[in-house]
Parts: sequence; structure tokens; C-alpha cells
Amino acid sequence: MLYALMGLGLSLITGVLNIPNFAHGALFAVGAYFLVTAVNAVGNFWIGLLLAPLGVAVLGLVIEYAGVRRLYAAGHDYQLLFTFGLALILNELIIVIWGPVGISHLPPALLRGGVDLGFTFYPKYRLFVMVAAGLLVLATWLFLEKTRYGAIMRAGIENKEMVSLLGIDIHRLFTVAFAIGAFLAGIAGALTAPIRGLSPGMGVDMLGIAFVVVALGGLGNLLGAIAAGLLIGVAQAVVAAYWTEASTAVIFAVMALVLLIRPQGLFGIR
Amino acid sequence: MRALVLILVSICVLPFIVRPAIATEIWIFAIFGLGLNLLLGYTGLLSFGQSTFFGSAAYVAGWLLKHYAINVFLALGIGVGVGALSALLVGYLCVQRSGLYFIMLTFALNQLFYFIAYQWTTVTGGEDGMPGIPRPDFLGLNFKDPLVYYVFVSALFLLSLWAMKRIVESPLGKILQGIRENEVRAEAVGYNVPRFKLLAFVIGGAFSGLAGVLYAMLFGIVPLEAISFVFSGNVVFATLIGGSGSLYGPIIGSFVFIWLSESMSVVWARWPLLLGVAFVVVVLFLRGGVVEAWSRFWTWQSSRHKASANPSAR
Repeated sequence: MLYALMGLGLSLITGVLNIPNFAHGALFAVGAYFLVTAVNAVGNFWIGLLLAPLGVAVLGLVIEYAGVRRLYAAGHDYQLLFTFGLALILNELIIVIWGPVGISHLPPALLRGGVDLGFTFYPKYRLFVMVAAGLLVLATWLFLEKTRYGAIMRAGIENKEMVSLLGIDIHRLFTVAFAIGAFLAGIAGALTAPIRGLSPGMGVDMLGIAFVVVALGGLGNLLGAIAAGLLIGVAQAVVAAYWTEASTAVIFAVMALVLLIRPQGLFGIR
Repeated sequence: MRALVLILVSICVLPFIVRPAIATEIWIFAIFGLGLNLLLGYTGLLSFGQSTFFGSAAYVAGWLLKHYAINVFLALGIGVGVGALSALLVGYLCVQRSGLYFIMLTFALNQLFYFIAYQWTTVTGGEDGMPGIPRPDFLGLNFKDPLVYYVFVSALFLLSLWAMKRIVESPLGKILQGIRENEVRAEAVGYNVPRFKLLAFVIGGAFSGLAGVLYAMLFGIVPLEAISFVFSGNVVFATLIGGSGSLYGPIIGSFVFIWLSESMSVVWARWPLLLGVAFVVVVLFLRGGVVEAWSRFWTWQSSRHKASANPSAR
């Protein structure tokens, strides 16, 4: 479900703005580090969980407003270089501020320990993350499908010129889409922090996964992102149980396999 | 012709200005850039996974050099082969999609190779890299002498440049440029566009493979970064900053990039941060690469001169 969340955010940014966002993984990592800092400062996990993604969303706003906005006319190559440069900057800043060594972070007291599900024993916090991520995906879906602005955003993915001809401020739409995408990346990072701990490399690892989700699920395709996220999540879990070393490589192997059979992705029509 | 003279002069002068290792690295990186430029500049394909081929070739040839003591030319041949083969595999999946999907796929498959190298520690050494790669003598040439190796790499670079010039000017090169300009039209005229894209990928991969083996022999180690996305990004940056439109762009870019990263890494251990800033600045203010920055600088200079010459004009 976390993969779906990441893919969804990236899918929004990539789909609406039509740029390759290589900084998406870095936003994810920043979200995790913001959480730890916020929790340490405030002393409350829930406030931290709210503040961290908001911080990342603001960061996204700034990035879009100060940089990405000026690059819509440039080619993908320059957009890629820009977001890649941003990813490098954010990644190094993390090391400068929080140090190169990984940090572990405990979930809140309420969610420590596990639940007996009858057939298996499952950590409470993971259960919480699953539900929370599911709710967030649902909320994003409701926003995109049921609200007026969501409809405009979907229209923006389909045809930008038409949307702007209809008198909608396309630049504001872009900014909002970037901020929402950043928010989703940030909250995914914040939720992950207590599960896997934090390390500066976490962003890049997640970036590859987010790309896989988008490549399989399709740009701006919500159902696709969820299906692809679940598919690789399950594949990874199954392989990890038998062959731990291959658990990351398998994500990309699954992608390659799916694309061999269906080059257009899971739901793509080319 | 003028460009060729300039290149020959810089080949002769360079080892006296910077350390031979850095001078060698510049030409190796230029070969790497030539390969990418066939995709990026001539075919219009933005590949963000060139280090897949660079790194695979470096690992395979490095392993054979280390454990089977094969000779240098065999190692280079194997590197070119591995580069081309891995490019065939990756390219086959990627050329079926275009635009943003294409970029993301090249990156995702790059990550696949990266994680294999990362986890397969018995062969690749994982995060520590694969050390101890020899530079064996050949026909009495002592490649352990940095200067001899430099001359060898320069010669191979000139050979690569010549080969790439031939490819770009051949009918194949024209078809690739046609695909860049208008893919639909190229398809309509009867060319099998995916097949030609794949061919460009394989050729680009072969160049990357050559560069990878030379790199491994230069430093005697294959670091994990050689197959990571950072290397892929670096070569894209070098090619763009030199100007992807021309044959010589990647060479200029390679100069600028290696010089930039060398001088930054001396200043601060966190130099990728500065590199990232350089990327952002270049994209925001200096699009068009070094050539444009140079001409802009001169117009700025001359306008300042004019302004100071007649201050009453303000």
C-alpha cells in the first residue's frame, strides 16, 4: 500500500506536469526525517505525522514555484537534470543535517507490539500503516473523482491546452498537483520511518520502486497504481521469505516480466 | 578539421596540466558520452540508465582480468560485447515505450542491475567494490606506467570518435536523426522505428562497455557507483552541458564535468551537494551548455565595456 501511495504521488506529478520527477524519492526521505525531527521536538507522534508531510508539501510548493515552473518549455532532458540535481542536493543535505548513519525510530507506544490475527502474529504498527495508506489512497481517489478540482486535474493529465483554454489557471493547477504529490511522498516517508528506520539512501531505493509502479500502472491511473503497488509489494514479500538478498531486485524483475508480456503496462492502451 | 586539431592538441597538453589519472579519466568519460550522445543527441532518446552497460562491462571484464589474467585487448573486446548485450536486453524492453515512460524504464532497469551488483557480494564485492584489477602488459607495452596507459586510452578515444563520426554520417545515422525529428514520419516512410532505436541502444551500449573496462583498469577497482544511477546522471549532465546536438559536445562536457567534480571533491567531502547545485544552476540559467554560456559572457562583457566607456548614456 505504501508503494501505491508513492506511485500515486509520482503519477500525479508526472502526469499533470509532464516532467520526470527524479526528486520524488528525496521528498520521501525528507518526509521520514521531518517526522523524526518533529516528533523529537513536539513529543507527539500524531502531530509529527501531520507536520512532516505538510513540511514536504511546502517544500514541493517552493520547488515548483522557484524551479520547475521555469522548465515547462524546456525538454525532458533539462527537467530530468534539474530534478536529479535537486535529489542530489536534498540527499546530501540529509547527510549534512542528520548524519550519514541510519537512525531508528520507534512507533508510538499505542502501536507497539502485535496483534494475534488467528493464523499469524502481526505487528500493530504495520497494520496501522496499511490502513492509513489505504485511507489516503481512497481520499486521493475521492478527491480526483468526486471533486471539481479533481476533475480539472484529471483533465489536465489528458489535455493541458484545452484546460487552459477553458480559462483555468494551469500554472496554479501544476503547483497544486506538485504539492499534493509531494505531500503523498512525504507522508509515505513519515509512515515508513518507524518500520524500516531512516538512512540517506532510502530515497533512491524508493524512487526506483515508484517508477516501477508508474510504469506498470500508467500515468495518472489510480487503479493502475494500486494494482501495481500491490503486485510488487506481494512479489517482494514472497521472495523475501525464501531469498532475502533478492527481495529488492525482484521488484524490477517483475516489472521486466510484466512488460515482456504487456509492453503497455497493466492497464495501458499504449 | 579544426575540431580534430584542437582535440589532438589537448591530448598532448592535458597530461602536463593535470594528473595523468584525471587526464585519462576525461577521455574515458568522453567515450562514455559519445555512446550516450548517439541516443540523446542523434536519436532523441533520453536514456537514464547508461551506467548499466558501463558497470556490467567493468564487472565482467574486471573479473576475467583478475581471475583469468586475460590480455588487455580481449578484456576490451569482452567489455564491448557485454555492453552491447546488456544494452540489447534493456533496450528491448525500453524501446516499446516512449517519452516519460522510456526515461523511467531505463532508470528502473538500471536499478535492477545495481541491486544485483549490490547483493552479489561474492563476485562484485558489493558496497566495497571489486578491487585488484590488473593492467597487464601487452607486446612489451608497460600499461602500469600511467603515461603509457594515457596514450593508449587517448588512441582508443580517437578510434571511438572516428567510428562514431562514421556511424553518424552513415545512412543509419541519418535514419536515427529522422526518428529524432519525426518518429511518425520515419515509421510512415517504412522504417521499423523500434528496431532502429534498439540498434542505437546496442551501439551506445558498446561504447559504454568500452569506457567501463578502461575505467576499471584505470583505477584498478570497479566501485559500486560505476553501475549506479549517479553515473548515469553524470554522463547525461556531461553530454548536455557540452551540447548534445553536436558530435563534439560530449567531449567538452567530459572536460567540464571531470574538472568540476575533481575540484569540488577536494573542497568538501559532501561535494555531490555542490554538484547538485551546479546541475540546478546550469538548467535554470545556462541552458544550451558551455558554448552558449561563453557567448553570453562575451556579450555581457562587451556591454559592460560600452557602459563604462560612456557613463553619460545611462
